Amino acid sequence: MILESLIGVALLGALVTFVAPDRIAGKLAFAISLVPAALSLWMFTAFDGSGNALLDGDLAFESRMEWIALGDYSISWFVGLDGISMPLVALTTVLCSLAILSSWTPIAERQSQFYGLILFIEANLIGVFAALDFFVWFVFWEAVLIPMYLLIGIWGGPRRKYAAIKFFVYTNVASLVMFGAFIALVFSLGDGVTSFALPEITDAMLAGGPEAFAGLEGATLSSVVFVAMFLGFAVKVPVVPFHTWLPDAHVEAPTPASVLLAGVLLKMGTYALLRFNFTMFPEDVISTFAIPIAAIAVISVIYGALLALAQTDLKRIVAYSSVSSMGYVILGLIAYTQFGIGGATFQMVSHGLISGLMFMSVGVVYNATHTRMVTDMSGLADRMPIAVGILIAGAFGYMGLPLMSGFYGEFAIFYGAFGSEFLDYAPLFTAIAMFGIVIVAGYLLFAMQRTLFGPYRLETDYEVGPAPLHDVAPMFVLLGLIIALGVAPELIFEMITDAVDPLLGGGA
Amino acid sequence: MATAFELAPAIAALPLAAFVVVLLVGDSMPKKGAFAGIIATAGSLVLSLWALATVAGGEVYNQELYEWAAGEEIAFHFGILIDPLSALMLVIVSLVALLVHVFSLGYMNEEGETGLPRYYAELGLFTFSMLAFVYADNLLMAFMFFELVGLCSYLLIGFWFRTPSASSAAKKAFLVTRFGDYFFLIGVVGIAATFGTLSFAGESSFVVAAEEAISGGETLFGFGAETWVTILGLLVLGGVIGKSAQFPLHTWLPDAMEGPTTVSALIHAATMVAAGVYLVARMYGFYALSPTALAIIAFVGGFTALFAASMGVVKDDIKQVLAYSTISQYGYMMLGLGVGGYVAGVFHLMNHAFFKALLFLGAGAVIILMHHEQDMWKMGGLKDQAPVAYYTFLAGALALAGIVPFSGFWSKDEVLYDALILGLEEPIFLIAYAMGLIAVFFTGFYTFRMVFLTFHGEPRSEAARDPHPIGAAVKLPLIVLGVLAVVAGIVNLAPIAKLTGAEIVFLEHWLDGEYGAVEGLTYHEYHELMGHETSYIGSETLTMLLGAALSLGLAFAGAGLAWTLYNVPEPKEHTRRLGRAREVLGNNYYQDEYQVWLARDLTLPFSRTADRFDQSVIDGVVNGVSSVSLFGSGRMKRLQTGVVTNYAALLVLGFLALLVIFGINGGWFV
Amino acid sequence: MTVAVEYYVLLSAALFCIGLFGVLTRKNALMFLMSVEIMLNAANINLIAFSFYHGNLTGQVFALFTMALAAAEVAIGLGIILVLYRNFEGIDVTVPAAMRW
Repeated sequence: MILESLIGVALLGALVTFVAPDRIAGKLAFAISLVPAALSLWMFTAFDGSGNALLDGDLAFESRMEWIALGDYSISWFVGLDGISMPLVALTTVLCSLAILSSWTPIAERQSQFYGLILFIEANLIGVFAALDFFVWFVFWEAVLIPMYLLIGIWGGPRRKYAAIKFFVYTNVASLVMFGAFIALVFSLGDGVTSFALPEITDAMLAGGPEAFAGLEGATLSSVVFVAMFLGFAVKVPVVPFHTWLPDAHVEAPTPASVLLAGVLLKMGTYALLRFNFTMFPEDVISTFAIPIAAIAVISVIYGALLALAQTDLKRIVAYSSVSSMGYVILGLIAYTQFGIGGATFQMVSHGLISGLMFMSVGVVYNATHTRMVTDMSGLADRMPIAVGILIAGAFGYMGLPLMSGFYGEFAIFYGAFGSEFLDYAPLFTAIAMFGIVIVAGYLLFAMQRTLFGPYRLETDYEVGPAPLHDVAPMFVLLGLIIALGVAPELIFEMITDAVDPLLGGGA
Repeated sequence: MATAFELAPAIAALPLAAFVVVLLVGDSMPKKGAFAGIIATAGSLVLSLWALATVAGGEVYNQELYEWAAGEEIAFHFGILIDPLSALMLVIVSLVALLVHVFSLGYMNEEGETGLPRYYAELGLFTFSMLAFVYADNLLMAFMFFELVGLCSYLLIGFWFRTPSASSAAKKAFLVTRFGDYFFLIGVVGIAATFGTLSFAGESSFVVAAEEAISGGETLFGFGAETWVTILGLLVLGGVIGKSAQFPLHTWLPDAMEGPTTVSALIHAATMVAAGVYLVARMYGFYALSPTALAIIAFVGGFTALFAASMGVVKDDIKQVLAYSTISQYGYMMLGLGVGGYVAGVFHLMNHAFFKALLFLGAGAVIILMHHEQDMWKMGGLKDQAPVAYYTFLAGALALAGIVPFSGFWSKDEVLYDALILGLEEPIFLIAYAMGLIAVFFTGFYTFRMVFLTFHGEPRSEAARDPHPIGAAVKLPLIVLGVLAVVAGIVNLAPIAKLTGAEIVFLEHWLDGEYGAVEGLTYHEYHELMGHETSYIGSETLTMLLGAALSLGLAFAGAGLAWTLYNVPEPKEHTRRLGRAREVLGNNYYQDEYQVWLARDLTLPFSRTADRFDQSVIDGVVNGVSSVSLFGSGRMKRLQTGVVTNYAALLVLGFLALLVIFGINGGWFV
Repeated sequence: MTVAVEYYVLLSAALFCIGLFGVLTRKNALMFLMSVEIMLNAANINLIAFSFYHGNLTGQVFALFTMALAAAEVAIGLGIILVLYRNFEGIDVTVPAAMRW
């Protein structure tokens, strides 16, 4: 019942915070969010699962009960963690706590609603990573959108309405495509499947796959559903060319929302890709699309990085670089090797931490200067040395500096992808994607040189001083985690590979 | 009692500890953390010397210490490999780092710089990264610390971040070396994916695996084994070319002079730039398998040696001259390694570390004397004002120019000799040899042009007439390095050994495992792998004498030319007479221009175009979908007029339309 | 001798068309309401005629329902018309169109 209490605490906390007075909302929300964070860290140490959740693995913290019977199908409350979801749950809870801490400075209006929504989103995010029944999962998946829509739409920047609606409609339409495809798949699997539990569906998929349904042959249906689901999740990731909602959402969103959006929400897409597309479908279906998917991954990496190079808004830079980084994840997934998929999962966690750190840093800069334009400032290192120091560290983490988590994620993906026998021309794809590490260094160094170094100059009328402790503290925590994972990737990589291995063995 | 090898992790860990301590509490420490750094690097030096002595006693150390990440096919570790090569390099690095720390007391502290804790912390991190890189036992670990070295150089070159040029130079240094590291990383990934191991030494090293693959005639990734090994070797070489500032990725190095001079000394002599060449030496067995890769190394080296030396001729900034001399000297090392002169290359690496550190620190002393003036045309006459600086600098200059019997002569001569004897067998290498040889002349010229302009003649500025005094912290490192620059050559007096038959080629024996070595990492084993044939003009001794005479003659010619032109009370800017050639040289053959063009005028506009494309086409489609639906609904909603009559009319019309449709379908009108 | 059901249907159709014509052409809300009433009564005639024709009472019961409904509708409709008159100083149904979007 521990997962339920995790979600429950966040939900109850959201309600309590919602009605609490503004004055104490921030501190109250932070205190409440420490409970799931501490619980999930305890779960992390007590984690005893093995194998993959969808492939008859032993789940940790499993709980399952019948919920609704719907015709021939039953829906059950079914949650549990394996080595893939455990790190992501821990990432979610930790990042939510830190995001709350980082909102103390920038959020001045409607505080209780703001913090309530953050806790609400936390509950749903945990649900997304923990749920193993399609309906339960889908409810959480969609419920994440609502608080994020409100966070952007209420506390956002000048174009917040446009950004919020674009975010909501775009990702919601994608969900619709995915939902329709998945339901068609479930119905086509015939009488063998009597519930929406993901492991059962996976078994049926791998055992025989779908029968003819709605005028399509079983094999064709598999492919169609694979593509539809890929597209549905691709929007969420996002990959080029479905990425344009991301920079708008990031630019308009308040800092803590950006932190969660980049840190956790994007991972929902890749997590779902891994869980659905790359676990449920047999290898021959995936391999049909290997080259197009790898091409999309490589294009996302290079094109996203190029776009970041052209930006002058710090948040846009980080936003586009997320597109680039998530491209690596896709590449790792399609490589379909232990290090490829394991590295991709590692990269999800790592990118969550690093992009969270970057958005926080940019937020701290913005709090002090009230501008994010690269051209509006220079020499900030002079005025806020500690915050800038962390920003530099985070930027180098983003560039994949060794002994920080980003390096291992990328290295594992590159290694896994280079030798992949699953993907034709794997070395070529890998080598091209790797050029991203040069471009990422280019735009981050350019931006840093122009904003942080040189003589101090600021176009807006604000006094810039050292950042307050509660702004800097979460960044230190993130930096510590990034370095810890960089020095000892086995902390999570071991459980990840444990969950990835059955996938590679059993998928054939 | 612990052995030297059990304490080996501390060699790198001590500077790391200094980094952490100084970063956290440096501001309240005496001398802003300098002492912490000095103690740490002194500890590293002692431990390195101990390790060196242990290797001399016949023991070597090749141990995996920490499993970083593991999978089914491969496990990545951190480990330590202490063999003759790395033990030697450890000593060099920790010694130079120690001396740089000491010198910084005089150069940074006494000059009242701000941000000193940051400086000393970064120095500590730099030393840590380099030491860990040096005794890495596998290629991945080497790559990781190679990158960290790059980070530290970025931080230190940009130490004076308030000056725009410093931060720009730092960015350039990181970016250009990153470009090289991109290829390096592909190489690392490729080697790991191909051979399933990244160890440098031992039975399960990638070198052994590659050798077996070649002898077994395997096909790897669709290529023949040897071709694939060449490709991988060249990819790794990309990192080397970036870090060791070889053509065409040398452009970052002259700019890197924006950092404090002490940092330049560290970067050029013992750490960052040395890392590249050291890496080639470290995995020499792998390159030995590929004659093509070796030939490319030789040509890159020879060309860079000449190319950079020619640019050094026209520089007016004392540090710029030294910068180009560094590029050029590393070219020699690459040339030496490329023509099979493993010992010669390493020998030159060692000597260069000493005399280049000396020259940079000497230049630092000059800069203190000159109240932070770096233009040589404003100097002059410092010889009498600062004899310690002068004589030590002179020793370094003689070594750099390759004048007998200073250390640089012996190693440079050996490099050229190795190139010559290979070239006599395979004439194509004679081109590389010739480039190296011509560079000797330029080296002699620019070195002594620098010496004469700086120290001789009449003072040409107020600062030169009234120099700032230099303290003991400055003089001590100069003296230590000055002595080393003079005498370091004795470790490998190959020409004399050949003439007299005396057993005085200690370094060759050292690297050949006469004292102790890891199997597979010795000179003669490399030689067997390469299978280079050599030949001589007449006899071996005659060839050697001819080569030495030629290079010495050229060095003297260059130095002599500088003597006549610049060793006068009022030297003139003779290089002006070079006309257009000077312009080309002064602009560094427009290398910077095209690279900046690539970055700023090609990539940036391209990315802007991509951005416009993104905004207009891709986002345009997204917004277009929404506009179309908005427009459509805008039209549709006009049906709703608000007039009840219209609705009623529509109702009736709809009913009639339904009637007609049903009627047609029902066959009423047939 | 009873009147044939066809005549009732014809009468009903004629009434309905008159009502429809009124709805489609009149702007006066009162005329509108009356036209609607005529259409309702056309329907009533139909209901009763067929009820009679089939010989069961269901149709007549429904006609009663419809009459009650029509009465209620007239009450509400007149209320609306009153409000309309107050707010727009007239009972032209084409004038109040602000609530359409």
